[in-house]
Amino acid sequence: MKHEAYDHPAFQVVERMPGLDMALLKADDLLHWGAENSLWIFPMGTSCCAIEFMAAAASRLDMDRFGSIVRGSPRQCDVMVIAGTITVKMAPRVLKLWEQMPEPKWAIAMGSCAISGDFYRDIYSVVPGVDTFMPVDVYVPGCPPSPDALIDGIRRLQEKIRAARGGKPFEREVRPETGMILPEIRRLGDSDRDPAITEAQCQAVLNMDKGGAERPPR
Amino acid sequence: MNALALTPPIAPRANPYLDIESYEGQGDLMVLNMGPQHPSTHGVLRLKLWLDGEVVVKAVPYLGYLHRGVEKLLEKLTYVQSTPIVDKNDYVSSMTNELALVMAFEKLEGCEIPRRARYIRTICAEMQRVASHLLWLGTFALDMGGALGGGTTAFMYCLRERERILDLFEELSGARFHYHMMQVGGVRHDLPAGWDAHLKRVAADISARIPEYEHMLSENVIFRARTRGVGRIDKLLAQELGLSGPNIRACGIDHDLRRSQPYAAYDEIEVRPALATEGDVYARYQVRLAEMRESLRIALALIDGVPAGPIMGRKPIETVNAVKPPAGEAYVAIDSPRGELGAWVVSDGSTKPYRCKLRPPSYHALSALPYLLPGVTIPDVVVILGSLDPIMGEADR
Amino acid sequence: MIGPDALLLARERFGLETPEHGPTIPRERLGEFARALFEAGYVYLVYVSAMHHPADKQGETERPARYTVVYRVRDLARGLEFPFRCEVPLGTSVPSLAAVWAGADWQERETFDLVGPVFEGHPDLRRIMLPEDWEGHPLHRDYAINTPHRPWR
Repeated sequence: MKHEAYDHPAFQVVERMPGLDMALLKADDLLHWGAENSLWIFPMGTSCCAIEFMAAAASRLDMDRFGSIVRGSPRQCDVMVIAGTITVKMAPRVLKLWEQMPEPKWAIAMGSCAISGDFYRDIYSVVPGVDTFMPVDVYVPGCPPSPDALIDGIRRLQEKIRAARGGKPFEREVRPETGMILPEIRRLGDSDRDPAITEAQCQAVLNMDKGGAERPPR
Repeated sequence: MNALALTPPIAPRANPYLDIESYEGQGDLMVLNMGPQHPSTHGVLRLKLWLDGEVVVKAVPYLGYLHRGVEKLLEKLTYVQSTPIVDKNDYVSSMTNELALVMAFEKLEGCEIPRRARYIRTICAEMQRVASHLLWLGTFALDMGGALGGGTTAFMYCLRERERILDLFEELSGARFHYHMMQVGGVRHDLPAGWDAHLKRVAADISARIPEYEHMLSENVIFRARTRGVGRIDKLLAQELGLSGPNIRACGIDHDLRRSQPYAAYDEIEVRPALATEGDVYARYQVRLAEMRESLRIALALIDGVPAGPIMGRKPIETVNAVKPPAGEAYVAIDSPRGELGAWVVSDGSTKPYRCKLRPPSYHALSALPYLLPGVTIPDVVVILGSLDPIMGEADR
Repeated sequence: MIGPDALLLARERFGLETPEHGPTIPRERLGEFARALFEAGYVYLVYVSAMHHPADKQGETERPARYTVVYRVRDLARGLEFPFRCEVPLGTSVPSLAAVWAGADWQERETFDLVGPVFEGHPDLRRIMLPEDWEGHPLHRDYAINTPHRPWR
């Protein structure tokens, strides 16, 4: 008899014996289920969206019920949620932390500042969208996106993970841009992106490690 | 004998430019970088700490990781377009940002605000103060307890109450954050029907819960040990640095712009001071709790007497070039949950400001770190930083 | 409320005009004026900022590009406030008031970073908001807001 708790498509055959519930499923399905339902989140929260991120993780819309937990170290995380404006000073740090995350890893660009720079995109010190230097899997639009929208973004990421692991094709998520002027630095993955820019960005991260552009304080 | 009772030590002011080369420590000094990305959710602040064992010898904060060039952007946009920009400075209390800027524009223009609009502004500012302090309390306790420890309890409780206030604001202005509520001459949205009943319910519920937080934290031995006597700010230093708000009121200096330079409807209501004398982290915590109570009391006192009338004191703003103040300068400061938030605006007679400087209280609070951190251990660094309540969006602009 | 004793100080001891937005102190006497204010009780520093005026013509005279550095201090005990300012042409430094008010330290760093005036005698005049190798001062009136900064924007 199929127990209703096992309605998840991962479980194929369920038996109940006294004191024991048994399910029969493919190892792959079990691993897929585990991967998408235990996303450990690395919050790269810089500004206002970080507060909405915290609200999504707090009492009203508990993100923990999706199996996610917020961890402080990139080495332990699967998903980086970039919540907030990324400035020129912060960008090499974000790229370095992204590189430090082990595979498989995904990125959610939360909020319009992370997607395109919002109305700050023409400012001298703001990076117009985080996908100019790192690949983004899910875009969550809004300023700030309401916590429900972030939960929906995580759900879309879960679908994407399920599709990717199952070998099924999925649509690459397109940065929402209606009638916008594209920034001079093209997205990672765009055909007209200059490879020298990627090289320069990696070099900037390495320079930062060597002490970078900061004069020591007195 | 209460081992936690401490007498204030008379210590000389720490030197933020201590010469590390000639410092005689117990061994080598270790440099620890509490980098811009850090789980203590105070935004992107980088602290470079020189440690002698576990004790900090010198601390150098680095800002600018969230510098979004707001002051330059305000020169490029018109007066009408500037409200949603400054919303995002002190993102936890958006109403107060807008209020400071809009009041500076009104001072330049010289327009009268109708009484109803002033009441709405005051009620919104006070409920915003409660929401901001709730978030502060939640993250402060979270920093101390850790994400998987006891700190999460306070975080969950406080954010639950804050959501109630955000619901209230959503009913009023349509947004949970970044309300875009104030405009030159008054407010944009009028109070909807039933809002006052909603506010009374929310205020009653929160007032009933503040004693729970106090009971959970103030009487907790670990909380008291970590906060009493830690991060004491000297009165003269606080004034020289320009600290304001709960940070300076906890030192015993009664500097409250709501009383000394009343704005909005503060001249029609009595604001009782929330003061403490010690100047340490525990005092700042007590001041903020008392301020929450006081703000709820003010909001409840004002909501019944909101006068009828228009909410705009000048002709309605329908185009982006509608506000064109004469040439001049104005500085207006309000008491935001973090302290004195000021806007110095210079106008050259056109529809765009010539220079707009925002005076953020968090910037001044962070400038106290090189003086407060030497001599404390690393756990105290987190506690002191949390107690100053910095918001990087406003410190970096 | 503008402090009457500070106004008296500016008018009598320093012989300056006191318009609505405070007297303009010549840069040579700025340190002396600041110390006099501090001793008179104005120990609370509200802000230090500046604005940039590009070179222009006022009537017949050509005025060079200059900075107006503005200060505002308060005396909390008596509830008095006092703004004052100092005008310098580009290239001339302003004496730093970090030795008088401890808060002037960071305020002057930010003003130097964004607007441009150099504060002489400042203990550590580095950029604070922008990366340290940044060229130019963004709040100059002729600085383009969308200046690129390869490889990030």
